[in-house]
Amino acid sequence: MIRRSSLPISRRAALTALGAGAALSVLFPRVRPLRAAPTPAKYFIGVYMPHGMAREFWVPKPGFQIAFEGSSLAPFDDAATFGRSFRDQIVALEGLDLTAGLRSATVGHDASRVILTGSGTNGQNASIDQFLAVEQGLGNETPLSSLVLGVGSAEPALQWCISYAKGGTALPKIIDPLATFDHAFGQFLRDPDPLAVARAAREQRLGKSLLDYWTADLAELRTRAPQAERDKLDQHATALRELEKRVIGQAVSCAVPARPDATQFPAVGSYQGGEPYFDLISNLQIDLMVQALACGVTHVSTLFLADLSRTHFDAGLPEDVHTDVAHRYASAGRSGSGGEPTSQAQLARQNHYTYSKIARILQRLAEASLLEQTVLVAISDMGDPAKHSSRQVPTLLAGGWGGALRGGRHIDLGAEGTPSNRLLVSIQQAFGVESDSYGQSVDPSILSGTLSLT
Amino acid sequence: MTRTQLLCGSLLALSLSCGTSAPTANGGAPEHSLEPALRRLSTAELDVTAQSLLGNGAALAAALPPDARQSDYSRNVAQSVDSLLLGQLFDATRSATEALDLSQAQFPSCAGTALAADRECAAATVTLLARAAFRRPPSALEVEQLLDLFTLGAESADFESGVALVVRGLLGSPKFLYATTLGTGEPGPNRLSNDELGSELSLLISGQPPDEPLLLAASRGELSSGSERERQALRLLQLPQSRDLYRRFVQEWLGLIGLNGLAKSSQVVSDFPTLRAAMVSETSQFVDDVFSHQAGSVAALLAGNYSIVPDALAGFYGIQPTAPGARVSLSGLGRAGILQQASFLATFAHESESAPVLRGKAVLTRLLCLDFPKPTDLGLDIVFPAADPNATTRERFARHAQDAACKGCHATLDGVGFLFENFDAAGHLRTTESGRAIDTSGSIQLDGQLLTLADSAALSSALANSEQVRQCAARQVVRFAAGKTDVLVEQAFVHSLEGKSVERRTTFLGLFLEFVKSDWFAWRKPQ
Repeated sequence: MIRRSSLPISRRAALTALGAGAALSVLFPRVRPLRAAPTPAKYFIGVYMPHGMAREFWVPKPGFQIAFEGSSLAPFDDAATFGRSFRDQIVALEGLDLTAGLRSATVGHDASRVILTGSGTNGQNASIDQFLAVEQGLGNETPLSSLVLGVGSAEPALQWCISYAKGGTALPKIIDPLATFDHAFGQFLRDPDPLAVARAAREQRLGKSLLDYWTADLAELRTRAPQAERDKLDQHATALRELEKRVIGQAVSCAVPARPDATQFPAVGSYQGGEPYFDLISNLQIDLMVQALACGVTHVSTLFLADLSRTHFDAGLPEDVHTDVAHRYASAGRSGSGGEPTSQAQLARQNHYTYSKIARILQRLAEASLLEQTVLVAISDMGDPAKHSSRQVPTLLAGGWGGALRGGRHIDLGAEGTPSNRLLVSIQQAFGVESDSYGQSVDPSILSGTLSLT
Repeated sequence: MTRTQLLCGSLLALSLSCGTSAPTANGGAPEHSLEPALRRLSTAELDVTAQSLLGNGAALAAALPPDARQSDYSRNVAQSVDSLLLGQLFDATRSATEALDLSQAQFPSCAGTALAADRECAAATVTLLARAAFRRPPSALEVEQLLDLFTLGAESADFESGVALVVRGLLGSPKFLYATTLGTGEPGPNRLSNDELGSELSLLISGQPPDEPLLLAASRGELSSGSERERQALRLLQLPQSRDLYRRFVQEWLGLIGLNGLAKSSQVVSDFPTLRAAMVSETSQFVDDVFSHQAGSVAALLAGNYSIVPDALAGFYGIQPTAPGARVSLSGLGRAGILQQASFLATFAHESESAPVLRGKAVLTRLLCLDFPKPTDLGLDIVFPAADPNATTRERFARHAQDAACKGCHATLDGVGFLFENFDAAGHLRTTESGRAIDTSGSIQLDGQLLTLADSAALSSALANSEQVRQCAARQVVRFAAGKTDVLVEQAFVHSLEGKSVERRTTFLGLFLEFVKSDWFAWRKPQ
C-alpha cells in the first residue's frame, strides 16, 4: 500500500528494474517535504481523448465561462443533461507538451504512449495508472488492480493504448461491455441453487490448485530467466495474484449491476460494424467503470475513447472525422486570428462530444459520492491534430483529487510548453507518493517538477 | 492436387544445401548473437497447441486479447501475460474442457474407457499431453505434478474430469506459454538446449509443437548439427499445417494485417466489408500458391503476373470469374503481383483517397528495409494537402517537392508512391481523377541506381530483380525468427548468404532453411 512516509522507489530497486544495459536516463526521486493533499485521493481515472482540440472553442471565456455557443467544454456546465454543473470540479489545463515523446520520436498518433507513462517507445516504466495500482498497491485490496477499457479498437498498439505495465508492455483493452461486465462483476454472480453452489465450490478448489501449479512453474522459470526478462515475469506474477483474488472470491460492497443487453450492440469493433453502437458502448463502459469503482472492484481505470467516424451520431460532421475534420483543421493559433472557421467548429463538435462522455463519468461519480476522492485526467495525443503536433495537448483535470485540485479554472502554462511529466508527478503526489519525478527520458531535466493545482 | 503434394514439388529445388553456415568462433558461437529471451507465444501459436490438446477444432484465440506486434510481427519477444489475458485464458480453457472427447487421436487409446482410478492410463495421458504443451518430454517430476492435478480433477468425478484439469493446467502453464531461448546456462558460449532447438525449429518452420521425429532428434542431441536442423525443417515444410504460418508471415511483413482495421468511404466503395474479405482471400490464396509452387519466391510474390481471384473480387478487377483456385493473369490490368493486389492498395490508402506517402513508405521500409523519420521527429509541422475537387492527388501533394524541409524525404517517398496513383483508395484501377488524367510516373533508388519508372507494375519488376530487396527479405526472416530487430545479426546473416544457391537466396523457404541451419539460430549471448 502507499505509505506517505516512505520513498516509493529506492534507487537500488529502480536500477535493478532497469538493468545494467538500459540506455535511458532516469532521474531518481528525491525526498522532500510534500505539499500534499489533505487526504490522499483514492480513485484514478485516465481518459484518452481523440484528435486534439479546436483551441478557438476550447479556451474558456473570462470568468471561466464554458457554456458559450459552440464551447467544447459546455457539457461540464449542462445541468439539464448531466444532473448538475461540474464547472467547479474541472480545470482546463493548457500548455502541456508530451515532451518525453518529442525527445524520443514518439509523436503523432504514437504519442498516446506518452500520455500516462511520461516516456517514449523505449520507456520501461509503467503508466501512472499501473504504477499506482500495481507498484504502489492501490489495487492490492480490490478484486481487480485496474480496469483497462476502450471503445472500438482492442489492439495493444502504440496509437491505441495509454496503459502500460512495468517493463513497457502495452496492456490490452476490453472493448465489449459484456466482457467488461464479466471481467468486473462476473465473479460475484451467485446462483443460489444447491447444485450450482456445489459446482462453484469445486471450481474454486480446482482453481486454487491450478494457481499453485502455475505459480510454482513461474518461480522455476524465473530462476533461469535473464535479468532483462524479469519485468515480464513480474507482470505474469501480478496476473496470477489477480486471478487468485478472483478464484478465492471477494465480497463487493454494492449490488452487482445488470448484465448489458448484447442485442443492443451486435458489433463492437472499429471497422467491423461497431461504429453505430459506439455511443451506447461508450455509455455502458463508463457506467460499468464507475460502478466497478463504487463497488470496490477496483480503484483504477483507464478508458480509450473513439471518435465519431462512421457512427452517424452527429449529422453535422463528415463520415470520416479523422481525415475530414482532424486533418483539415486550420487553427487560428494563439493570436486568435486566421484559420478556417468551419474546420474549427467541426473539430469543436468532436471535442464537445468527447467531453460529454467525460461529463457522464463525473455525473456517475457524483451519484456514487466518489467525485471528491477521484483524480480524473483526460488528455489527447495531439494539440493541433492537422499538424499531428504533440505540443499544447488539451488537458482536462476533474474530480476533487482528495483536495489537491482547485477546480473552476483555466490554467495556461504558456506557449513554450511544459513537460507533461509534471502532471504525472502531481498525480502521484495526490495519492501520497513522495516522489518528484515520473517517466524516463534521454533528457532527465523534463521528468521532475509539479504543477500548481490548488 | 493436395497442398502437401504441391509443397513437395516446391521443395525439390531447395534440397539440402552444401557448405557450412556462418563463420564461427568462440566454441561455435557466432560473433554476433541474439539475446536469450522468453517469448510468450502469439495467440495463433496458442491456438495451434490448444487444438493439439483439445482436438475438436477448439479455438482459444477469439477469446483472448489481440497480440502486441513488434517489428511488425505478432511472433515477438514483447508479448506478455497480463491480467486480462490470463483471466480470459482461464475462462476459455474451462469452457473448452467441459466436454472432452477422449476417443480422439491426441489421447492414448486407453483414455476413452479408463476409470478415474486408472493411474497407469492417467500417466500415459498426461505424458502425451505434456509433450505437446511443453514442446519437449516432461520430466518424471513434472508428470507427478500433473498426476496430482489429474487426481484432484477426477476426485468424486471421472477420468475425463481429471484429464480436463490437466489440460487446463498445461494451457495456463508458463512452460507452455513461453518459448524459451535461454540456452544451456553453462559458462562460456551459450547454445540453445536440445529441447529449445526442437521447440524453436518447429514453431518457426511449421508453427506447430514438435512432432515425434523432431522430439526424438532433439533428445538424441542431433539438432546441434545445422544440417540435421535443415533436414528436419525440410521434412516439416511438407506438413500442410505450415501454410497458415507463411500466410501470417507475409501478411505481417507487408502490413496487410492492418486491412481488418480499416474502412473505406461509401463514396469509394459500397460494400467494403464484403470486398475486404475477398481481398484477404485473394492474397492468402496467392501466398499459398507461391509458397507451394515456388518456395515463396520473392520475385514471384512481387511480379508473378498472376493471381487467384475470388468471385467477389472479379468484378472489382474487371475480369470474368474463374474456377476456384485457378490462376488468372492480370498483367494487362496493371497488376503484376502482391503490391497491386487490392489488399495492399487498400491497406495503404486513406478512407476516401489514395495515399502516395503511405504506399511509398510501405515499399521502402518493408521491401528495402529503409527507415524514415517522421516530420514531427524533425520538428516539422505536418500540413495535409487541402481537398481540391479540381486537382489530382499528385497535384495536391506537389508542395512536398517544393518545400525544402519536406523534399529531403518526400522526393524519395512520393517518387515511389506516385507510381501507384492509377489505383484509388480501395485499389480500384483508374485512369482519371477529378476529371484529369492520372500521371503514374515516378522513381526509386534501387541497388545504387536511380530508376525512372512508368508505373507500379514496372516498379514490381525492378523490385523482383533487386539484390537490395532480397537482402531485406533475409533481414525480415531474421526479425520474424528473433521476434525483434537485431541489426548486427541481420547484417551477419545477409553476409553469410553470399555464394549460396539462387534458390536459397531468393525464396523465403530457402531463407528460412538457411537461418535454421545457421549458428544464429542455435546460439545466444551468454546470460
